[in-house]
Amino acid sequence: MAEIVMAYSASHAPMMTADPGSAPREKAENFFGALEKVRDRAKETGVQAIVMMTGEHLTNFFLDGLPQIAIGLDEEHLGPPEVWLQVPKKMVPSDAGLAAHITEKLIEQGHQPALSHGMKIDHGFMTVYYWLDNTMELPMVPIVVNCTTPPLMTTRQFYDFGVAIGNAIRSYDGLERVGLVAGGGLSHFVGEPRVGDIDEEFDRWFLERLGKGDLDEILDMPNDELAEAGNGTGEIRAWVALAGAMHGAPGHVLAYEAVYEWINGMGVVLYDGDQAAAQA
Amino acid sequence: MTLYMVQRCLFDHLRRLEAAGDGPKPDIVTDGYTLTDEERRAVTEPDIGAIYAMGAHPVIINGFCRALGYKRADYRPLLEQSGAVPARRKTRWQKS
Repeated sequence: MAEIVMAYSASHAPMMTADPGSAPREKAENFFGALEKVRDRAKETGVQAIVMMTGEHLTNFFLDGLPQIAIGLDEEHLGPPEVWLQVPKKMVPSDAGLAAHITEKLIEQGHQPALSHGMKIDHGFMTVYYWLDNTMELPMVPIVVNCTTPPLMTTRQFYDFGVAIGNAIRSYDGLERVGLVAGGGLSHFVGEPRVGDIDEEFDRWFLERLGKGDLDEILDMPNDELAEAGNGTGEIRAWVALAGAMHGAPGHVLAYEAVYEWINGMGVVLYDGDQAAAQA
Repeated sequence: MTLYMVQRCLFDHLRRLEAAGDGPKPDIVTDGYTLTDEERRAVTEPDIGAIYAMGAHPVIINGFCRALGYKRADYRPLLEQSGAVPARRKTRWQKS
């Protein structure tokens, strides 16, 4: 059976690859330094494939049929569609067996993800994934989640979904070492009057709770309250799902920077893999 | 007619721009979309504040503004002056 040997959540502002030098050097170094630590952890643990969850940006779906959750089921997926992202376009390998298994096991556990073929993997995936493996050879199973188009799933529903994702991965016998990744957030405001703002108070509050594994207030937060932290901030739903997959354990907050040049609160939280968590 | 049609019109326009790449940029097309006169005016003029006030998806607004060459500093005031800025509420993470 597969083990989740590493899991992390990271912000995915497009500017982090499109124009990384636009951020103040110290802030960029802190954020990218955290991603380097994550990359080292991936090498140490010998991750064979990752499962990655991120927000849907109307890249794959439009309002005529927008799922709350969709899983890319192909052997490979094309990314990124954004020519300006400064990430080479490539067919990124996946693990279709793992994707199919996750889908089946989610349904058995009461979740109904949409089935997606031809999924494109946009900046939501590629910014973070490219930092993890710039050869883009590491298989990645993509999952998009609706974080911006109401009515939205609540944080508690995403936590429960994450628990089910964790169960599904751990019951897969086709691989031994799987990584789980969440991309998106932290606070940002898109296409609305507060565009460019960052709610640093929210970001620090959220990260503090992830760091303690104290998730009650996050899971009790109604959608309209979360929206106050920014209409892009709802992408933290993927982080909450990842926390659920890791049994709500405390995460290691590796970095936080409010990067106004990237209009995004930028954070990285790394979790111990299953074995390390069991020994802790 | 419906907010969906406004958003469909803008979204299709963004896809056409994407497909055009570095070639000539196509004008926005409103034929084939059931729009009121006000909706047609808003998307062709364009009137970003009006599109926002109608309730268009923020990802579409963001993409449309970028396609128009607007910087954040250009379109933030248009949204702020739309007359549709939501009231803010107290949240659990606010200390003050």
